[in-house]
Amino acid sequence: MDDKTRADLLRLFQGRLNRAMKYYLETCTRCGVCVEACHAYASMGQVKNIAAYRHELIRRIYKKYFKTRGKLWPSLGEARELNETAMDELYDAAYSCTGCRRCMVYCPFGIDTQMIMSIAKLLLIGVDRSPEILTLLADTSIEKGKSFELFKEGFLQGIRNLEAEVVEKWQSEAGATAIPVDVPGADLLYVALAGAHSIIPAAAVFNAAKENWTLSFFEAVNFGAFMGDPTRTQLILERIVNEARRLKVKEVCICECGTAFRVMKQSASSQPFKVSSITEVHARYIREGRIRLGKTKHNDLITYHDPCQLARNGGVIDDPRYILKHLADNFVEMAPEPRLNWCCGGGGGLVALGEETLDFRMKSSRVKADQIRKTGAITLVTACENCHTQLSDLNDHYKLGVNVKFLSSMVADALMKN
Amino acid sequence: MQILYYIVLVPMVYIAFAVFVIGIVIRLAKIFHEPVPMKMQIFPEKRPAWLWAVYDTFLFPMVLRRKPLLWFFLILFHISFLLLIIGHLELIRGVALFQVIPHEVFLGKGFVGLILSICLLYFLFRRFYSPVRELSVPEDYYLLVLLVLTVFFGSEMDWARRWYYYDSVSVENYRAYFFSLLIFKPELPYEITSSGHSFMLVLHIFFGNLFLIFFPFSQAMHSFLSLPMNKLRRG
Repeated sequence: MDDKTRADLLRLFQGRLNRAMKYYLETCTRCGVCVEACHAYASMGQVKNIAAYRHELIRRIYKKYFKTRGKLWPSLGEARELNETAMDELYDAAYSCTGCRRCMVYCPFGIDTQMIMSIAKLLLIGVDRSPEILTLLADTSIEKGKSFELFKEGFLQGIRNLEAEVVEKWQSEAGATAIPVDVPGADLLYVALAGAHSIIPAAAVFNAAKENWTLSFFEAVNFGAFMGDPTRTQLILERIVNEARRLKVKEVCICECGTAFRVMKQSASSQPFKVSSITEVHARYIREGRIRLGKTKHNDLITYHDPCQLARNGGVIDDPRYILKHLADNFVEMAPEPRLNWCCGGGGGLVALGEETLDFRMKSSRVKADQIRKTGAITLVTACENCHTQLSDLNDHYKLGVNVKFLSSMVADALMKN
Repeated sequence: MQILYYIVLVPMVYIAFAVFVIGIVIRLAKIFHEPVPMKMQIFPEKRPAWLWAVYDTFLFPMVLRRKPLLWFFLILFHISFLLLIIGHLELIRGVALFQVIPHEVFLGKGFVGLILSICLLYFLFRRFYSPVRELSVPEDYYLLVLLVLTVFFGSEMDWARRWYYYDSVSVENYRAYFFSLLIFKPELPYEITSSGHSFMLVLHIFFGNLFLIFFPFSQAMHSFLSLPMNKLRRG
């Protein structure tokens, strides 16, 4: 690595040193309480998957370049040069961490490994070593935001094709559009994923609740966040924020995508609209009596997987349970408490990397598979696209014999006429 | 030899305290000067957040749940450390407030040092085993070794007086020395530098000085940062 590259990388590093990051880099006592926190360590027993080991990779570079101590007496903290080998290790650490923040619950100080790993991901962007798929997907999203007129017609046509299926699930009033798009003054902007499964059930429920809603032109998922790229994350986010402001909606509802929800929620305080997850919105409809659900369709034992970004990191914990209470009588909890639920093993962009990470995803999530098996449930419900994909992969790999379902689809399927 | 004693007992103490105080102030000022981070909260939330942050900071409930033995030694260590600070303040002058529970100076009948020594040895030895061994870096050992040496030599003086009726150096001698340092008119009473246990005092203060100098630049800063960090996690 030449000096200029290193200097550029260190500038990127410096840009991430806010107060929280300094806390995290200064305080770790390497006490080892986090050892069992990581599902990858619990499943595979490799030291490199321990949270403290992961952050020490970054901390050593921090000591070397940002602390006088590391210059005067580098061996004291094993301060370390930023070079190709270090970058290799950072890649391994960053793209084996799902950012679930379970270790943050364990840490006596509350060190956020995901945030420290964001430095690793940013440095990897600096040397063009982010996974190509993620970069491509993120840039496509950004491009769609820029030249949105080009995509518009194709998108609208695609949506029209879905409407018949929405009506099949819920017959809306005569003359009403099954999937409204681009409606100024709508109360709620629904941001879905690119896929019928994310749009059709949601639309049916909105129509059943007589919501004044409109579908966003853009997909919710933020590949910039998976890459750990603040600039791309912001650009992808802004597409939706601008649309919401243009249409003057009161609420932005994010589909079942944990990362999208958390990223949007974090920026919400500065926006004129409220941010909700579709799970929260569905729970609200039930509470307000705007939709009614029938229990008959779900007699078997049901369990719920708390998506990390939605539950532990997003605070949506009671609502999915409230909804499930209206769907089934046989509900069993998966973890002793939601904040200690094992990650599915697919977060942080690992699922988006597909086959490339499949072997690691399966091996590192043995504890998740065991946890699911122990519930004895037949139906495994979740409210996150990433988790759903990963849990389905686990189901095949470990032959768990469960039906993996989206909570929103179950709500749509159980809709009853008032 | 007397010159060496003098250097350790007077100028080095001043330097150590200066580095300790100024170091901490500058380090904290630098950290708190950084922009306020975004929300880092973990859910479910409990209110009031600051009270739960205090709870997390001083009782580390997750450690109790995951590693009860470590928790036991950690709590014992931190309580003893607090008593140790009080004990040293009383070596400067008597403080009525601390005498709510009447005791002889140095408090704890020698057991504070003994408990600290055991805890420190536990912390040190657990680092020799995997996986904590793989996580540790040299400073983790240096810091513990430095504390072990400081506490050993300090405790021995206490133990000798308490348990073996050693009376060549009295509490008054320590007070005369400490108080003279505090009012910047350093004095070394004859008993402090020339009794059979003087070498222990000198070594205790020497390692203590090193610890104070190292403190602001080490993870010992968690003493100040743990509370704001836990507050951040509680939201």
